[in-house]
Amino acid sequence: MSAHHAAHGPTVHSHVGRYLLVWGGLMILTAVTWGLSSFHLPGGAGVAVALTIASVKGGLVALFFMHLYDQPGPNRLVLLTSLVFVALLVLLTLLDNATRFPLANPPDAETAPQRIRDAILNEARPAPVH
Amino acid sequence: MASHAALAHHFESLEKQTQAQRLGMWLFLASEILLFTALFAAYGVYRYLYAGAFAEASRGLETWMGGVNTFVLVTSSLTVALGLDAARQGRTRRTATLFFLSIGMGLVFMGLKAVEYRHHVLHGELPGRFYTAGHIAGSGGSLFFALYFLITGLHAVHVVVGMTVLGVIGVKSWRGAYSAEYHTPVELAGLYWHLVDLIWIFVFPLIYLI
Amino acid sequence: MSPRPASSAPVFAERNYLNTPATGLRSWLTTRDHKRIGVMFLVAALIAFAIGGFFALLIRLELLTPGPTIMDAMSYNRIFTLHGVVMIFLFMIPAIPSGFGNFLVPIMVGAKDVAFPRLNLLSFYLYLLGAVIALAGMVYGGADTGWTFYTPYSTTTPTKVVPILLGAFILGFSSILTGLNFIVTTHTLRAPGITWNKLPLFVWSIYATSVIQILATPVLGMTLLLVAIEHAFGWGIFDPARGGDPVLFQHFFWFYSHPAVYIMILPAMAVMSEVVCAFSRKNIFGYKAVAYSSLGIAFVGFFTWGHHLFTSGQSPYNAGVFGVLSMFVGIFTAIKVFNWVATMYRGSISFTTPFIYFVGFLFFLFFGGMTGVALATVSLDIHWQDTYFVVAHFHFIMVGSTMMAFLAALHYWWPKITGRMYNERWGLVAAVFVILGFVFTFLPQFLLGNEGMPRRYYSYPERYWALNVASTAGASVLALGFMIVLAYILVALKHGAVAGADPWGSRGYEWLTASPPPLENFDELPAFERGPHEYHDLPAASPQAPPGAARGASHG
Repeated sequence: MSAHHAAHGPTVHSHVGRYLLVWGGLMILTAVTWGLSSFHLPGGAGVAVALTIASVKGGLVALFFMHLYDQPGPNRLVLLTSLVFVALLVLLTLLDNATRFPLANPPDAETAPQRIRDAILNEARPAPVH
Repeated sequence: MASHAALAHHFESLEKQTQAQRLGMWLFLASEILLFTALFAAYGVYRYLYAGAFAEASRGLETWMGGVNTFVLVTSSLTVALGLDAARQGRTRRTATLFFLSIGMGLVFMGLKAVEYRHHVLHGELPGRFYTAGHIAGSGGSLFFALYFLITGLHAVHVVVGMTVLGVIGVKSWRGAYSAEYHTPVELAGLYWHLVDLIWIFVFPLIYLI
Repeated sequence: MSPRPASSAPVFAERNYLNTPATGLRSWLTTRDHKRIGVMFLVAALIAFAIGGFFALLIRLELLTPGPTIMDAMSYNRIFTLHGVVMIFLFMIPAIPSGFGNFLVPIMVGAKDVAFPRLNLLSFYLYLLGAVIALAGMVYGGADTGWTFYTPYSTTTPTKVVPILLGAFILGFSSILTGLNFIVTTHTLRAPGITWNKLPLFVWSIYATSVIQILATPVLGMTLLLVAIEHAFGWGIFDPARGGDPVLFQHFFWFYSHPAVYIMILPAMAVMSEVVCAFSRKNIFGYKAVAYSSLGIAFVGFFTWGHHLFTSGQSPYNAGVFGVLSMFVGIFTAIKVFNWVATMYRGSISFTTPFIYFVGFLFFLFFGGMTGVALATVSLDIHWQDTYFVVAHFHFIMVGSTMMAFLAALHYWWPKITGRMYNERWGLVAAVFVILGFVFTFLPQFLLGNEGMPRRYYSYPERYWALNVASTAGASVLALGFMIVLAYILVALKHGAVAGADPWGSRGYEWLTASPPPLENFDELPAFERGPHEYHDLPAASPQAPPGAARGASHG
């Protein structure tokens, strides 16, 4: 077997140490994100922190457990491209609701002015469609 | 030898075939990621619109169960990775054992989720028109639980599929179908399971830690 | 390969994929041969086209008079819904990629098959399953929501919308698997000599299509599933009475459905790149521009979906963003149109049936595309939204461009797939019917829409009567044209002249093998030294016999 096929050869070196390190990192980061959540950071900051930690964890899983670290380009490009489109759908859709005239959002949404929400919550609910 | 039988006639070499199978699996994983995306987008919109209600609903969840489940899935990813490592060394019985261990952890995950679901059913924390819990003002509660059941439900389906795949490959590995030269199905099964873990890594903070 | 001297008669390859490894229904239904799978997809897609076309004729019949003509309003709603669902999901999306793509992509990259042949067969069976389930819903009366299934009506309609939603969900997976197969095939199965820069342009466009299929289709699947769940169980996330936002559905739906139109047009453009070179006997002008513009369309197409929501209640800010982004995608189409025309310049044109359809395609793509850019202008769309202007726009692209490309593909590759030529004179006759019929069907609809006739209405004020009659008349001519094609193409199966390996004198790689091709595509793999669209070694303006004349193809 040629040298660069080491991954398929019978005397391949094991990556157990690397996996255990990654596992340790994932457990720690899980504890961190769990712990941070008790601080109840305001709105956007809380989501941003949680997503950042989750992305680091996800990156560790993708790079090391899923071996993107030692594999050629196309596979990485596939994952990255899919994440770009996840961000696209989530952000552009959110942008819509975030930039609408407040009354164009669902009536008891918390983005509407408080007095209007109170009025809606206090009056009889319209009959649900089901 | 297993490797000769494994090479399909239209591939010039086993290496090319393995490369193709990996790329194919990653493309499939990309489609799975996009499958969850609509749910995440709906979650993003409704969390923005009903931030307070979502936070309150999330506080009502048993966070420790979500946390334990996260530890469980992460560890099951470790055992799957170790299983592939063993296969690379030709120790395919070890691979099978590790895969069965991962399935066991998957069962723990599903068990905890079943307990949680039962809890929600008993308290009327159900999706859409079935939401009767009532302690959250407005529609936020019903929307939270609609998304909760959709996201965790879809994820649970993938956990079951993943366990099945690990089981099939585990059994074949035990019976000696793979070797150090050829163990691509082990790798592909592992990739699917890691995706299941990857998705949960994002679900946990978004659902339980608001 | 030099043009075959007139004296050597074309040969019908005796051992070919049609009779190897076996004949008989079972060998076809369990095949892993991409060529057989492609043929089965084509047959299925053509049946679907006939069904969708039948619904179209019913629509046009109803619109012959201002009031009710042959049906009531509810039936009309069901018919146009089914027309849309069948045409889009059962024909437009799969026909060229899963039909011609399956047949040609492995041959064009010098491979023996696609990367995952069994997955390919699964893709076909998923198509059948999805089709059967969706059509079963039709038997039970179908849905009346329009193919766009807008909430909250689709989640509350009393009609049987769930089977159609589930059918479309399953069809989505067929689409995803096909795309996956093509991408992996292109990456890993190219023969030595076929580098990325020598890839046939057909393959480039199919590759770009496949990228869209993998990224966009799952979102549609999930969205339709959500509607089905809400309809069946009331787990409402789109229900306004429970705080849901119905416009959210539209975001998700169009996130797929706008790139979906590029799934429909990119394969058509793929065909056209091949046809224009073959029948101008000239290298493509700007190979890289044409190749990369396919990827450009695929990518930018994802950023534009909000232009379907201009009047739905999304924020004006978002409307502005999407309006601007929508303009960019036209750039890549313009690059292609320019390059195709430049390819024709100083070429040696043969006015065969595929080329006629190419000309039609180009003309109608231009007008369809320009009206698309006009519709993407927010202020103009306020007037045209949900009128026949939109209907005319997308039919110009879907019928005027994609369908014509499909017909061009059918005629161009008929000899390769069946080993026989069709009757060229009848091809011309049918093309005239199709093109004229098309113009008379859809041009009046631009005028109707601009004058305010809404779409999806089964009755209309009398002032729209004349144009509607013209449109229906055109539809009859169009239908007749299709039927003529079907007739002579079936005749050609048995009685067509033997085509031989390369009846057109084309330089595409698929013409380097026999017609019909052998089971593993090439008896002897060529060296692929030349590019797939290279004609520059031909003497300029040489007196070439028109391709096909020396082949003994019957002209009448």
